Amino acid sequence: MHGRVKVKTTAQQEEEKRKEREKKLKIYVAARDACFSKRKEGVCDDEALQLTQQLLSSNPDFATLWNYRREILMHLETVKDPDEMQKIYEAELSFLEACLKVNPKSYGSWHHRGWVSARLPRPDWARELSLCDRCLSLDDRNFHCWDYRRMVVKVSGVPVDQELEFSDRLIGSNFSNYSSWHYRSTLLPVLHPQTRQEPPHASSPRGPQSHRVCEEQLLKEYELVQNAFFTDPNDQSAWFYYRWLLGRAEREETISCVYVSREDERVAVAFSRPINARCVGLLLVLDGQPLRVEWRSVHPRFRHSPVLICDLPPGTINDVTNEHNLTVHWTGNHTHRDCALYTGRVESWCRDTATDQELFRSELSVEKTSVLQSELQSVKQLQELEPLNKWCLLTIILLMRALDPLGYEKETLAHFQTLKEVDSMRSEYYSDLCCKFMIENTILKMEYAEVRVFSITDRNLTSLCHLDQLLLVTHINLSSNRLQRLPPQFAMLQCLEVLEADNNFLENLEGVYHLPRLQEVSLKNNKISTLTDLQPLASCPELKRLDLRGNPVTQAASVESDLAELLPSVTDLLL
Amino acid sequence: MLGTQIKDVILKPDAPSSLLLDKHADYIAAYGSKKDDYEYTLSEYLRMSGIYWGLTVMDLMGQLDRMNLQEIIDFIKACQHDCGGFSASIGHDPHLLYTLSAVQILCLYDSLHAIDVDKVVEYVKGLQQEDGSFAGDKWGEIDTRFSFCAVATLALLGKMEMINVDRAVEFVLSCMNFDGGFGCRPGSESHAGQIYCCTGFLSLTGQLHQLNADLLGWWLCERQLPSGGLNGRPEKLPDVCYSWWVLASLKIIGRIHWIDKSRLRQFILACQDEETGGFADRPGDMVDPFHTLFGVAGLSLLGEEQVKAVNPVLCMPEDVLQRIGLQPDLLS
Ligand SMILES: [Zn+2]
Repeated sequence: MHGRVKVKTTAQQEEEKRKEREKKLKIYVAARDACFSKRKEGVCDDEALQLTQQLLSSNPDFATLWNYRREILMHLETVKDPDEMQKIYEAELSFLEACLKVNPKSYGSWHHRGWVSARLPRPDWARELSLCDRCLSLDDRNFHCWDYRRMVVKVSGVPVDQELEFSDRLIGSNFSNYSSWHYRSTLLPVLHPQTRQEPPHASSPRGPQSHRVCEEQLLKEYELVQNAFFTDPNDQSAWFYYRWLLGRAEREETISCVYVSREDERVAVAFSRPINARCVGLLLVLDGQPLRVEWRSVHPRFRHSPVLICDLPPGTINDVTNEHNLTVHWTGNHTHRDCALYTGRVESWCRDTATDQELFRSELSVEKTSVLQSELQSVKQLQELEPLNKWCLLTIILLMRALDPLGYEKETLAHFQTLKEVDSMRSEYYSDLCCKFMIENTILKMEYAEVRVFSITDRNLTSLCHLDQLLLVTHINLSSNRLQRLPPQFAMLQCLEVLEADNNFLENLEGVYHLPRLQEVSLKNNKISTLTDLQPLASCPELKRLDLRGNPVTQAASVESDLAELLPSVTDLLL
Repeated sequence: MLGTQIKDVILKPDAPSSLLLDKHADYIAAYGSKKDDYEYTLSEYLRMSGIYWGLTVMDLMGQLDRMNLQEIIDFIKACQHDCGGFSASIGHDPHLLYTLSAVQILCLYDSLHAIDVDKVVEYVKGLQQEDGSFAGDKWGEIDTRFSFCAVATLALLGKMEMINVDRAVEFVLSCMNFDGGFGCRPGSESHAGQIYCCTGFLSLTGQLHQLNADLLGWWLCERQLPSGGLNGRPEKLPDVCYSWWVLASLKIIGRIHWIDKSRLRQFILACQDEETGGFADRPGDMVDPFHTLFGVAGLSLLGEEQVKAVNPVLCMPEDVLQRIGLQPDLLS
C-alpha cells in the first residue's frame, strides 16, 4: 500500500466510515463468493463476466479473477464465430482501458491486455501503440506501460528508428526522463551497432552494455546529452546515460598471463574475467603432449576466479637442464597462450601487460583522444559555472582517466576530495573509486618501470582490487594505509616473497593463503588480536620472518610458544 | 539554467527516532484478528505473502510464539493445489509468488514435512520456459521476479538441481541494463525491486561475478536522498520498502558502506506510527505489514541489535537459514 496519507478523523466520522465499509464488505463478499461458486461449477456465462468485471474494476490485483475471465473467453471461442469474438475481445479491451485509467500500475490488467491483444482475431496494434502514447503522456515513467509498448513494438514490427524518434520527442519535451534515456540505450546498439573487432564467437549473451554504438552516432548522442546537462546540470538521468556512452567495449576474453615455476612445478594462469575451474574447458599441453592436471581456484572462498593454478605431475619440469614449451588452451573461447621455459631458468611467463592493453583507461572507450579532449573541455566549461556539481566533477575524473591517468593524477585526487565534501552521503563510494584508480596508476607505473615490486604507501587505501594483475609481483608494500583485511583475492599473488603492510588496521589475513614463495611478512602496528587471525599464514610453507610488533596478539601470555607451534617454519619472529 | 527539484520528503523534528518494538509486535499480532475488515478482505489475493511478512517480522523481533502456528500450517496445507503450487488464499489460483511465501513460512516454523515437497518442486520446474525464464503461473506472465521466486523456493527445499540453472542464469543476465541494473524482462528499465530479485537470484545460483558490481553499486547508492531514505528509481520518492531492496542489493554485492547508514536509519525510524505501531512507506502515511517487515529488516541490515540478523537474499532470519544449512553467496 503506497502513498496513503493518514488522516485524523473524529469518532463520528469514524463510525460513519465503519458502517460504509461494512456495507461495501457485504457486497464485495457476496460477489466474490458468487464468482467462486460459479467457477467451481464450471459456469462460463455473461453473469460471471459481469461479476468479475465488477470486482476487478475496484481490485485489479485479484489475479484469480483475471484467470477466470480468460477461462470464460476461451470457452466462448469454442462456441462463437470470429466476428462475434472480435466484438467480445474489443469490449474486453475497453473494460481494460477503464481499469488502467483507475489503476495504471496493475500487473494483472497489463498482462491481461497483452493476452487479449494476442488472441484478437483481427488485432489492432496501432490502437495499442496509441494507448501507450496516451498513458505515457500522463506518466512518462510508468514501467508497466513501457514494457507493454516494447511488446507491441516487437509483435507488430514497428521499426526501431521510429521508436528512437519517439524517445527523441519524449526527451525533447522533458530531459529529466530516465525511462526514455534507458530506452535509447537499448535502441541505439540495434540501430547503429559498432562494426569493428567484435570477436566472431562473442560468447555468452549479456545485457546491452556489451553492445556498443558506432562512433558517428556516439558524437550525435554526446551533443544531445550535453544539451540535457547544460539545461539542467543536476538531472541525474543524462549523467547516467553519458557515463554509459563513454563506456568502453568489454574486453575480449583472453588468457592474459601464463606463469610457470620450475621449482614448485606449478602453472598459474590469469584470465580476462573470473572463470570457474570446474566448468571451463582448459587444456594444458607440455612439449606437444596434453597433460592431465587439476585446475583450481587460488582460494576455496571463491569458485570463480580470474587466476587458476595447477600442479604438474612430479618430475615433469624440475630438471633445470631441460627446455620446455607450454601451451594453455581455453577451448571454449578458441584462445591459447604459449610459454617457454628455457634451460637454466627457474621460472618463466608470457603475458599482456596492463600498459599494452590500456586496461585502466578507466572504463572509458578507446575513442579518439581528440573527441574525449573536447568532451573534457565542455564538461569543464560547465564546471566553471557549477563548481560544486558532483555529476560534473565525477565525469571530469572519468574523462581525465580516459585521456591520461598518470598525467592527471594530482587533479583527479583534488576532485575526489571536493566530491567527498559536496556529496558526503556517498563519500565511501568516492573513497573506493579513488583507491581503485590509485591502484591502477601504481600498476601502470610498475609496468613502465618493468619491475615486480608493487608499492602503494600512505594513500589512505581502504580496499584492494585488481589483484589478478599482480600475479607476477614478488614484493608488495601496502604500509600506512587504512586496510582492515587482506581479502581471499590476495591469494592470487602467487609469486609473492615479501609482504609489508605495517601501520594499517588489519585484523583479517584470509588472503595470505598457500603462497608458495612467501618468506617475509611485516605487519607492525595492526589490529591482529588472536592466534586464529594468523592461522592463514600456516599455509605458507616458506615463511621465515614475521614481524608482529605493535599488535594486540603480542600481549597474550603464551604467544611465543603458540606461534612456534602454529608456524614452525618461522625462524625470525619479532613480537 | 533550470534547477531540478529533488523529489523527497522532509523529516519532522518530532518524528520517532527510537525503535518502538513492542508497538510493532502488538500491531502485527492484532492485524490477523480483524478478519471481517473490508481492507483486510480486499488483500486476500496476497494473503500468503501477508502472512510471511507478518511472521518474519515477528521472528526478527523474537515474538514468533505469539502467532497461531497450527492455524497457519492448516491454512498453508489447504492452499496447496494438486499441481503442487500454492495460492494466496483458499479459492484462489496457485502462483510462484505465494509458493515461495508458503515455503518461507514453513521454514520459519521448521515444518516443511507438513506438505508434499516433491510436488512443489514439480510445480516450479514446470514453469520454466525454453529461454530459461519462469512464468508466474500457467497463464504465462514472465518476470525476473518469478526467476527469483523459483530459485529461492528450490534453494530452501535443497532442490536447485531440478531446473536448468544455466538457462535460468542466461535469461536473468539478458535483462541487465546500461546502468548495471535489471528490469522485469529483457529491455525493461532498471528498478530496485527487480535488482533485488536478480542479485538475489545470482547469489543463490553462485553467479554474482557476472554483475558489474561497481556500476550497479553506484546506481544503487545514488538512490539515497537528502532525507536519508532510498527510492527505487531515479526521480522517485523515498520509501521504506525500496530502502530494503536497495540496501539488501548493496549488501549482496558487498557495497553496503556506499550509503549513509545513520541517515537511512533516521528515515526508517521516522516512518513508524507511534500510535498504532507498524511502519508506513513514508512518514505520515498509513502503516501496513509489508512496510513493517521491510522497515525492521532494513534496520537489521544496518546493524540494529534489538532485532535478529536478517539474510539479505531471502529476507529471513539468519538463524533459520543456518538451521536449513543454506548460506547464499555475498560479494566481499
Ligand atoms: Zn513501499
